[in-house]
Amino acid sequence: MKLTAGIDVGSTYAKAVVLDGNGEVKGTAIQKTGFRLTEISTQVFHEALEDAGVTRDDVSYVVATGFGRYQCEVRDTQVTDLTSAARGSRVLYPGTRTVLDIGGQTMKASRLDDPGRVRSFRLNDKCAAGTGAFLEKTARYMGFSTEEIGPLAATSKGAVPISGVCAVFAESEVINHLSQGAAPADIMQGGMISLVERCMQLLKRVRMEPEYTLIGGILRFPSMVTELRENLGEVNVAEGAMVQFVSAVGAASLAHYRLDKLEEVGVAG
Amino acid sequence: MVTQPVFDEWKGKSLDGILEVCRDLVESPEYPTVARWRAAGGKVVGHFQVYFPEEIAHAAGALPVKVRGARLEAINAESRFGSYLCSILKTSLELALSGKLELDMFVSHPICDAARNLAAIWGRNFDYSCQILYLPQNPNSKSSAQYLRDEYERLMGDVEAVTGTKVTEDALRHSLEVFNENRRLIRELYALRHAEPWKIPVDEAYTLVALAGMVPREEHNELMRTVLPMLRDRPVRKQDRIRVVFEGGFCEQPPLDLLTTIARSCHVVDDDLLIGLRYLVEDVPVAGDPLRDLAESYLEHSSYSPVQHDLRKPKEKMLLERIRNARGEAVILTAAKMCEPGLEDQVGYSQALDEADIPYFVGEFQETMSGYEQFELQLETFVENILFFA
Repeated sequence: MKLTAGIDVGSTYAKAVVLDGNGEVKGTAIQKTGFRLTEISTQVFHEALEDAGVTRDDVSYVVATGFGRYQCEVRDTQVTDLTSAARGSRVLYPGTRTVLDIGGQTMKASRLDDPGRVRSFRLNDKCAAGTGAFLEKTARYMGFSTEEIGPLAATSKGAVPISGVCAVFAESEVINHLSQGAAPADIMQGGMISLVERCMQLLKRVRMEPEYTLIGGILRFPSMVTELRENLGEVNVAEGAMVQFVSAVGAASLAHYRLDKLEEVGVAG
Repeated sequence: MVTQPVFDEWKGKSLDGILEVCRDLVESPEYPTVARWRAAGGKVVGHFQVYFPEEIAHAAGALPVKVRGARLEAINAESRFGSYLCSILKTSLELALSGKLELDMFVSHPICDAARNLAAIWGRNFDYSCQILYLPQNPNSKSSAQYLRDEYERLMGDVEAVTGTKVTEDALRHSLEVFNENRRLIRELYALRHAEPWKIPVDEAYTLVALAGMVPREEHNELMRTVLPMLRDRPVRKQDRIRVVFEGGFCEQPPLDLLTTIARSCHVVDDDLLIGLRYLVEDVPVAGDPLRDLAESYLEHSSYSPVQHDLRKPKEKMLLERIRNARGEAVILTAAKMCEPGLEDQVGYSQALDEADIPYFVGEFQETMSGYEQFELQLETFVENILFFA
């Protein structure tokens, strides 16, 4: 069976997936992106190969995506995050019409047409406002790590309103709330609600319609999913760590499409 | 006559090293090679886009320099032109007004409503000769060849007056041979792009061709003779990209960074960038009257552009031919901001591409633009629609 790989070089994490022709994930790998994009993309690719128990020669086509896609040397081609997220969402949830992708430094909302093409999309402004970085910084100001965000917010008794989503100005607001005796869990929950409001603005601008699929590392935090469900109703969220691999799955799936196409016209390899 | 080289920084370098110094030179608004030529006592004939018979200036011992605008702010030149005019006019004059590009003669051709006043405006600012070359308005007329030959002769007299060198027929024939070799080498470069485009992305190809307009042709020939085998042997991994033709770079030039951006998602297999340097598509005969042969080549064996109106070469048909010859799958159809000829021809091109069922991407650029994110995102979306949804 032919295998392909999708490598998503995101701003915070680099992810790789090895996919077979039936759409089954055979191997995955994830690492902090850092600043050596070429090296990290090669590293996660090889780790995903190892996880799948296959070698480089077993993989027929590689598609890179994410902001570091052009630095990925092992790729055969690259696609934008929008295209890979759309494809990955459709692979996992075929009824998807709207995708919300909350990454470490970007937030993207897109609406899809029947074949799965992106018909309309909106990105966040050119700053970390309303992204994973905002939550990370909020947690850090209070002395918590990224991994502690989910458990911390889950213990909230009542959210403290956070007026903005600017990762820089959040520090003074957080300090202000702490000095007034607010619990870190409530501040964290307030940050998530503020972020969800931002998500809803983006979704409205692409004229969202169900089914909704939510992807990105932030969706690992149950409180975030709960808040979005309260605003959107039923939503698709991949289980466990897979929520971070949706774009990589999409890239690997597009690789199968392209491979089939090239074989059809007799130019593969 | 200048005999010492003006550009030898590339010698002894690796391919990547050569391409790097070439790009630095092409992007420099200081025209250091031209300054070196003048410092050695040589004369410089600057010629504005699109086509100019450089062989005439070469035969008179002058350095022909293509004036193609620059990425700089037209601080002085803004006051000479209306704000509604294209950027290349302003930045070209700015190069001269700011002293970055020193000339001994300037020639333009009335390619559009804006450019037809360029030589007159230029001439009001400098003491040297500023001439207009009137290429035939009607290339289909039986008198066109004789008319153009005589026009070249008139222009040659002006060049001779600047250089103080009488041009002989033998000198002109020698220049034709030098330029014929250059045309052959550039054709080889384009043939490589047709065959193995991953070995020479559009930004690098552009850099190599653009140098022809700013260094002596003999030096450019030597550079090309060295680089072409290196490109053919280049150990680069082939990536899966669509083959596109870039159209809209005949006059104002897109920034090199924009071409680099395009090269990241497409194999540009052919284009009309700096088409004036490649306008004659065959060797010019060297046995007969050289001026007549040069004129005949312009009329009978030339490429096409929105500023030449030849009924025998419908531009839509020529574009389709360019796509076919390069095995293009799609077209990037651009025009420079405020470029009337470019925008006008987009209409006909779009219609022809629709009829031929060839996908195309319409975009606009300006030589001084600096943000490419929007252009890139739109282009990538276009490419992905072809790759994954066609």
